[in-house]
Amino acid sequence: MKQDSGIKGLAGGLKNRRIPLNWVIIAVVLIVLIIIPFVLEGEPYYVHIFVMIFLMGYLATAWGLVGQSGQLSFGHAAFFGLGAYTSSALYMDVGISPWIGMFVGAIVAVIAGLIIGYPTLRLRGPYFALATLAFCAILQIYVRNTPILGPLHLGAAWGITISPYLGGEGPAFFQFAGKTPFYFIALAMLAGIVYFSYQLNRTRLGYYWLAIRGDQDAAESLGINAGRYRLTAFLMSCALSAIGGTFYAQYYYFITPFRVLDISLSLEIALMGVVGGWQSIFGPMLGAFILVPISELVRAELGSVAMGLHLVIYGIIFVLIILFLPKGVNEPIMRGLSWLDTRHWRPSQNANNGKLGRQ
Amino acid sequence: MVVQLSSALTLGIMLGCLYAVIAIGLSLIFGIIRVINFAHGSITMIFLYLGFFLWQFWGIDPYLSLLIVVPAAFGFGYGVQHILIRPMFVREKAYVVEPLGVLMLLAGVDLILTNGALLGFGPYTRAVETSYSTSTMQLGFITVSVTRLILACIAVALTFGLSWMMNHTELGSRIRAVGQNREAAAICGINVHHVYAIAFGLGCAVTAFGGCATLPFYAIFPQMGMSLAIKAFIIVILGGLGSVPGALLGGIIIGVVESVGGQFVFATTATIFSLVIFLIILFFKPRGLMGTIEV
Repeated sequence: MKQDSGIKGLAGGLKNRRIPLNWVIIAVVLIVLIIIPFVLEGEPYYVHIFVMIFLMGYLATAWGLVGQSGQLSFGHAAFFGLGAYTSSALYMDVGISPWIGMFVGAIVAVIAGLIIGYPTLRLRGPYFALATLAFCAILQIYVRNTPILGPLHLGAAWGITISPYLGGEGPAFFQFAGKTPFYFIALAMLAGIVYFSYQLNRTRLGYYWLAIRGDQDAAESLGINAGRYRLTAFLMSCALSAIGGTFYAQYYYFITPFRVLDISLSLEIALMGVVGGWQSIFGPMLGAFILVPISELVRAELGSVAMGLHLVIYGIIFVLIILFLPKGVNEPIMRGLSWLDTRHWRPSQNANNGKLGRQ
Repeated sequence: MVVQLSSALTLGIMLGCLYAVIAIGLSLIFGIIRVINFAHGSITMIFLYLGFFLWQFWGIDPYLSLLIVVPAAFGFGYGVQHILIRPMFVREKAYVVEPLGVLMLLAGVDLILTNGALLGFGPYTRAVETSYSTSTMQLGFITVSVTRLILACIAVALTFGLSWMMNHTELGSRIRAVGQNREAAAICGINVHHVYAIAFGLGCAVTAFGGCATLPFYAIFPQMGMSLAIKAFIIVILGGLGSVPGALLGGIIIGVVESVGGQFVFATTATIFSLVIFLIILFFKPRGLMGTIEV
């Protein structure tokens, strides 16, 4: 049957329910997210929560690339922090715009990832997870104690404060007044990375990852070099995390090793990924949408009286999810959606082509 | 210079023994259950707090409190394995070779313990003060702290004691059997989950034993767990995952590198050396110095 085109086709598709339910949901969510900052005009705190959700969703999805290749990183804050520090130091000391420093940071993170990943991703077992953890901890100790590295001022434990650019060309230097521009940049980053991860899953590389995480022995017997493709996944993840770091630095104008290089941040990223579903495409993003509001609320309401409470709550959610929903909240949601889609939305069409992701 | 260096060397060995007592338990657990106890540092921290509170409220000497802390740690470890980890083993059964799920579960336990301690005990640094905390003795021309020397002796004794137990007792051979082949051991009539729980409990008990012996000279705070655990992870990989003597050796190497290296470069640079050693070992000899487990 020939499909109509344009608005008429879209309306017809909706009316006759030819368009998969998932696409409709994605479109509705995107439209709502685009409208939100205009509705919340006078409420910068709520806009901030959304920016944090997008940023953590972005980081967790980047982290999830490693998960898709069947490994677990406990040190992603290191790459995030490398990105933040590289672009900030380049901007403050050399005057390079963070838009460029962002990619320099990504390159630095890839080099660091290569040093950590190359020896450890060949091995099975917990070596990689432990090496990333140790790298993150030791990088923090190093930065905490290094005021100056070559021409760059790292500021040791005081970190870097980014001074506003006074030449009137803020946007060229990743600086904006108000939170709304950051909101849209973060939203674009999140949408971009999820789309990237989704497309990646349909390439040869994505199928290699699926094979490796399913059964490494079988994959290797078919000639897939597990270590190499895991390294590819990890390096992509490092570069993307570093870009997230630059965003964070420009959003806060202030970074310290205790905020951007901390192990608790690494664990928080991993947590969102696992709660959402650490081997799925949409899971890590879902994790961020669930956990960030909890943490922000607990911090805002009880932060002064109960230090660390939000992490205790995270930990309990985390343990329960691993025990009872090992594939994360992503799995039941996706199953429910595909059931709705095939049973109620498009009962005449056959199933499967409407599935959002694997599993 | 000679005096300075040999003092640094002695200090490094003792520091290494401190790291080793934490790492021995970790290595023991990995050798049998094949699970990295991610929460090892925070479990240690919890039992250091128990020792501290016993001293604070009832004035029980840290060495005497071992009698309470060690059985408590054993029970705690047994419970964690039995209640939290066992369901995952039952579910995953034979086809999961590297239980990353368990690693994540223990990361969750770590979060709960660390932040629960922060919540309950506050972020303050605390220390036990005993009459002998600062006493020293002379070994030739080197001055050493008595409490650190006791800890070093405990580390060595624990290593040999555990090796002896593993090789010469019935429980030891059961534990080794389960560590070598879970299914075969189960066929021979060994209750695998019971042995796993004993192994986990034993790992925690050993660590609590060593940990309490550090109380007279080591200040405690809620976030100390992670830095201890990271040291222990580096050490067990250096010494060989699953090897108890390897953990002692690895601990001493890292301690000496940090202490002697600190004489020549900044202490932070010396810390980075330990990461470099760690990566080099993984690159050339992933089994570690004394490891036996295939990688």
